[in-house]
Amino acid sequence: MWRGDSGGGGFVGYEIESQVGMVVLDAMREIQRSQAKDLAVRWNCKAAKCGCCAAEVNGRPRLMCKTRLDDFQPGEEIRVEPMRAFPIVRDLVTDVSWNYEVDKRIPPFTPKQDAVWRIGQEDVDRMGEFRKCIECFLCQDVCHVLREHQLKNGYFGPRFMIRIASLEMHPLDALDRTELTGGEAGIGLCNITKCCSEVCPEGIGITDNAIIPLKERVADRRYDPLAALMRRLGRARWRQGSAR
Amino acid sequence: MEAEHDVLVVGAGLAGMRAAIEAHDAGADVAMISKLHPTRSHSAAAEGGINAALGNAEEDSPEDHAFDTVKGSDYLGDQDAIQILCEEAPEDVYQLEQWGAVFSRAEDGRIAQRPFGAAGHPRTAYAADITGHVLVQVLYEQVLKRDLKIYEEFFVWKLVEHEDRCQGVIAWNLLDGGLVSIGAKTVILATGGAGRLYTGTTNAYACTGDGMAMALEVGVGLEDMEMMQFHPTTLAPTGVLITEGCRGEGAYLLNSEGDRFLERYAPHAMELASRDVISRAEQTEIDEGRGIDGNVLLDLRHLGAEKILERLHGTRELSMVFLGVDPVFEPIPVRPGAHYHMGGIDTDVWGRTALEGLYAAGECACVSVHGANRLGGNALMETITFGKRAGAHAADWALSHTTIEVPVSAEADADRELRELLGRAEGERPWSIRNELAETMHDNFGVFRREAEMLEQGEIVASLRERYNHVVVEDKGNVFNNDLTQTLELGFLLELADCMVVAGIERKESRGAHARPHDHPERDDENFLRHTIVTWRDGAPKLNWKPVTVTRWQPMERSY
Repeated sequence: MWRGDSGGGGFVGYEIESQVGMVVLDAMREIQRSQAKDLAVRWNCKAAKCGCCAAEVNGRPRLMCKTRLDDFQPGEEIRVEPMRAFPIVRDLVTDVSWNYEVDKRIPPFTPKQDAVWRIGQEDVDRMGEFRKCIECFLCQDVCHVLREHQLKNGYFGPRFMIRIASLEMHPLDALDRTELTGGEAGIGLCNITKCCSEVCPEGIGITDNAIIPLKERVADRRYDPLAALMRRLGRARWRQGSAR
Repeated sequence: MEAEHDVLVVGAGLAGMRAAIEAHDAGADVAMISKLHPTRSHSAAAEGGINAALGNAEEDSPEDHAFDTVKGSDYLGDQDAIQILCEEAPEDVYQLEQWGAVFSRAEDGRIAQRPFGAAGHPRTAYAADITGHVLVQVLYEQVLKRDLKIYEEFFVWKLVEHEDRCQGVIAWNLLDGGLVSIGAKTVILATGGAGRLYTGTTNAYACTGDGMAMALEVGVGLEDMEMMQFHPTTLAPTGVLITEGCRGEGAYLLNSEGDRFLERYAPHAMELASRDVISRAEQTEIDEGRGIDGNVLLDLRHLGAEKILERLHGTRELSMVFLGVDPVFEPIPVRPGAHYHMGGIDTDVWGRTALEGLYAAGECACVSVHGANRLGGNALMETITFGKRAGAHAADWALSHTTIEVPVSAEADADRELRELLGRAEGERPWSIRNELAETMHDNFGVFRREAEMLEQGEIVASLRERYNHVVVEDKGNVFNNDLTQTLELGFLLELADCMVVAGIERKESRGAHARPHDHPERDDENFLRHTIVTWRDGAPKLNWKPVTVTRWQPMERSY
């Protein structure tokens, strides 16, 4: 396990006896009880719902409560470290507050003036996937734009593409966040490597179902000459997937 | 004092956020303080749904909802509070929708409502099987929209009582270390339940009853503490919750002989009977040898893969990840687990406690709308409706009062106590005390209660409290010291356990979740149609009683 703080640290080895059904979080708790009594780690629900226990296990961003020990061989070394894309607080606890600040820059749900509150289940289902996000930030952690290139001032990250998509696809939302998506949110920096989709513990198709459709909207808005003409002529309001 | 606010909300789950939003909209300067980031609160784990008499599935009325709730509470619920809940519920649900909560829909595009335990008409609105999670997101968005101040990862340890008012809190800053005191004209406790008193619990690790214990310590009474609901379908050993929604969609409960054993306990409602009835049925089957490794079976197979994947996707995931069981092909082994605390801080219908300026809402409060047993779907509704009411009243009160004072002595006392705790070089670690507490509560104060075991539990808790006085915190650091916070949480749990046992022993009847089949198997309305109220005197619980408010429905026999 990685131990240390913002000043630095390193890996320390621990041994525990594994039991049937044990997950990495259980192992952390056992180590906290018996060996590393001052271990700093976030955890809460132990049921893959709260998003607290995000970490990197053998180099892969994972929820500790959902990573079974029997995924590994007995005696195999299991390396647990904090999410490397974020500043370290201590041990496995990182400072993820940048994400909460980004959230504030996305205009929230704003109902249409004359909204009739009848929604089809198909519309609900379209957004349903995005609503599952537990904000574990594993996708943010793995995204090379944020992690390697440190472009936190240029790209909001996959989690917030999901958030924007869930708002844009709400049939009764009055706002248009396309400019934000292509501009400040920096969707252009995503080059569809799909690492985010791979690590999402909720199985959300981040790239295919949110990022690519949003990219298409931005492209239509900015680069489609016919659409631009129509807009200038004031004949149509272009909103894809809009309310019936 | 680090800061001052009109209204300070402790806990940022559904009740806390709803209270803060309402208080802000009423014009007060509001802040929330929580030991977790708001969206990590346990409210987000709620799955099944939220009850309101919208009348979208079948004709329904707030009166019907109220009656179901009163009966569900085994007539211990205060009927005036229940009527308020059921009358305000529909508006409150529509408000959530207009804030962007995406509920599952019926054919005609209106909010869908499904059947749930002990409900006469289908009235549970739901968002797939992640209702609590969706509501937490929606409320958090409203909180951000209003730019409300949140003290995140601050562990509130004590309430400040001064001149017969609650005037603030003293908290430990988890990220940087150190005690801070925050003054407030009103404090609203929304700290949730205390499932961590038990080994088998659906509750998250943070559910340690902090607010209830703190209220106790400033002289406020705790009501119906013995009433802990055991949810019938939890996974062993983790306690992970399998939603009642499964049974709402038609799942069966089977014993080791393959029988739908509820035929013998609740022949009309079967799997949709009240939770306490089902938990007792399961426990009886298990105790009498018709369980499998201490579990019964929840069978979804006959629902078909399509329905399971569409409506109960989350359940299937949990079952596969935590047990390796795919409910499309195999039944899920489940057993009762401590789930929801009906009891809590004694409040009126505005969330007011006996201490001026101190409010409570949500699971930590006891209005009482749930009495001796809560209906599925009513907890989410309670957090919204009573969170809103507490927020409104607290804001109103705060805006008509001017002073805040946190006496230096309060800060000094807390500081001294903490230094003493941290200064201890050796002693017992809290882990063993906490584990023993949880195991013994499970054995002696679980689904079924016996006088001898409860008395024994009282002594066990007393000895654990004595051991706690010598507990050692080995992490002496400042940054993210959860050794310290876990130790403080244990202190809270021990006080609450003491209250629960005392109340349980004195309630000499079986009612709702308090089941004493061996010595007092019947409900005794003549003597016990009243609430237990426990207050703290000289470091020990003292028991009193408070009558139940009956407005319309006289107690009747309760069967499903």
